Amino acid sequence: MRKKLYSVLTILTTAVFLGSAAHAATLKIGVAGPLTGDQAAFGEMLKNGATLAVEEWNARGGVKVGKKKMKVDILWGDDRHDPREGVSIAHKFVNSGAAGIVGHFNSSVSIPASTVYAEAGVVQITPASTNPKLTEQGFSTVFRVCGRDDQQGEVAANYIVDKLKLKRIAILHDKTTYGQGLADETKRFLEKRGVKPVFYSGVVQGDKDYTPVLTAAKQKKPELVYFGGIHPEAILLVKQMRERLGMKALFMSGDGIVTEEYYKIAGKSAEGTLITFTPDQTKLAAAQNVIKKHRKRFGKEVGAYTIYSYVAMNMILNSIQATGSTKGAKLAAHLRSKAWNTSLGKLQFNKKGDVLESPYVLWQVKGSKFAEIK
Amino acid sequence: MFAQQLVNGLVVGAVYALIALGYTLVYGILQLINFAHGEIYMIGAYVGIAVLAVLGTMGLTQTSLALSIVLVFLIPMIYCAAYGITLERVAYRPLRGAPRLSPLISAIGMSLFLQNYVQVVQGARDKAFPNLLELGSFQLFGAYVNGLQIFILILALGLMAALQLFIKKTKLGKAMRATAQDRTMASLVGVNVNRVIAVTFAIGSVLAAVAGVMVGMYYGIVNHHIGFVAGMKAFTAAVLGGIGNVTGAFLGGFLLALLESFWAGYVSAVYKDVFAFMVLVVVLIFRPQGILGGSGEADRT
Repeated sequence: MRKKLYSVLTILTTAVFLGSAAHAATLKIGVAGPLTGDQAAFGEMLKNGATLAVEEWNARGGVKVGKKKMKVDILWGDDRHDPREGVSIAHKFVNSGAAGIVGHFNSSVSIPASTVYAEAGVVQITPASTNPKLTEQGFSTVFRVCGRDDQQGEVAANYIVDKLKLKRIAILHDKTTYGQGLADETKRFLEKRGVKPVFYSGVVQGDKDYTPVLTAAKQKKPELVYFGGIHPEAILLVKQMRERLGMKALFMSGDGIVTEEYYKIAGKSAEGTLITFTPDQTKLAAAQNVIKKHRKRFGKEVGAYTIYSYVAMNMILNSIQATGSTKGAKLAAHLRSKAWNTSLGKLQFNKKGDVLESPYVLWQVKGSKFAEIK
Repeated sequence: MFAQQLVNGLVVGAVYALIALGYTLVYGILQLINFAHGEIYMIGAYVGIAVLAVLGTMGLTQTSLALSIVLVFLIPMIYCAAYGITLERVAYRPLRGAPRLSPLISAIGMSLFLQNYVQVVQGARDKAFPNLLELGSFQLFGAYVNGLQIFILILALGLMAALQLFIKKTKLGKAMRATAQDRTMASLVGVNVNRVIAVTFAIGSVLAAVAGVMVGMYYGIVNHHIGFVAGMKAFTAAVLGGIGNVTGAFLGGFLLALLESFWAGYVSAVYKDVFAFMVLVVVLIFRPQGILGGSGEADRT
């Protein structure tokens, strides 16, 4: 009996050692975002983009670090767009020795999490967090491959003033770092152009009924309602504007609502919605390869942030291979050192970690899909 | 604006009131806060989507709208009644004699379990609730009123009237009132207490199912999380009106929704929930038993 017990123990301990040995040979990259919850649509884009990049590297035998090739292992973190979850995931990633981070999705999560990564000297590239503050904190290891909300707000404000020539604007936001940040930037640029919003208010994220605040906005007879926030609230707002209150004002929002859920659930109420977003990636020559691979691997089209996540992951792995190091400072220096040829075209980082050029353009929901306005 | 906010508030109030009734009925009889009640409402909405999907593929939504509407409410009602009864059997009955804290923890556990169960089975993404009733809108005293809003109000008020009649006039209703007054005494005079409690859970769940389907139709969007917020608000409404009191739940639901609506419209949408809970605190300071008083007073469940 005792002999048996010993042999079982021996097998178990060997297995554990073998397991950890196998583990030690992999290169760990943390990927975090809202993988579940009401923003899971974005989490899925993040997940698929990162997975695609890692599978390509592993198919080629892994990343060469110094002399040996290492397979890449993704550590998943589901922050459910909750800043507290984000910080605890950041600590978990750092403690498990992640060599780099792709994430987080929401600005409200990326900003507190970035403190943890920066302190530990781990490089972080977010594919989607657009709040300016993220790269204004003075951390050298924080990067983003997307644009900034001050750029986005300016494009929105200029379009309203120059193209639409509208004067009565109502502004709503969801009180999050991203939503309120974007709404405030748009408001700031509108005021710069001499248009003072007639209505400005926050709404409660996760609420279902926005008719009271919309009724109050309706009193000011807005010609356009601008919303800073994410698609679950945008769907309810635009539906209730059209179906409950009969408001005909235009609806405009930012890159946080670019998911198929938006036009699928809001249906015909969503028609005509204006959106500021980066130019159509599916038309980019550089992106065609990823789009094809994504279709083959996941059986559907890429989402708004799939390619961004793919690019972010590739940049980290490329830098590790080029420098032969997993040290944040070295990787960060390499990331800044050159112009990158990516699936999103040419990208170069400035000192802060923002991309040098980020041209936001106007999109519109037309015939139940997003279309770039030419 | 006043008329519009009134309409906005009344519709939300109907939903709060229907869910609040479930809390209050169970509390009246068991002195238990059934925290899993909000999840029953959420499950009702999901079953509604499933029924609509089936009816849609059968083509029934095209051929017979009236029958479809009846089914889209009836099937979730039956399903949720079964859920409610099972919930009571599994989570609360074994703890009937235990200290009050144990069933409360069991309730919170069931709430978390059901929420996560639905998330795992149905996915975390928002689900669209197909629009079954395409009703027109019209203007009334400057307010924009939708046919669906009237439908919801009439249905909710009808159900509440039916519940009042059931409790006041039927034999089972009388048994419920007797059990609420004194469970031991009721069982001594021949009331099947277990059956009465099961019926109470079933009725509460049926009302929650109706609320779930209504909300699905009204907002067109459902996720596994809606039960939490709605349950919280409905519970507040029940306490506001006087928990254990059927008329109180009714009143509390409408009052809370109207206050929220006017506050958000006239003062601040940002502090809507702050205001709602502040009202609760103030009312409880001056009337700890709620506006109409709890189950200890005249209008018992």
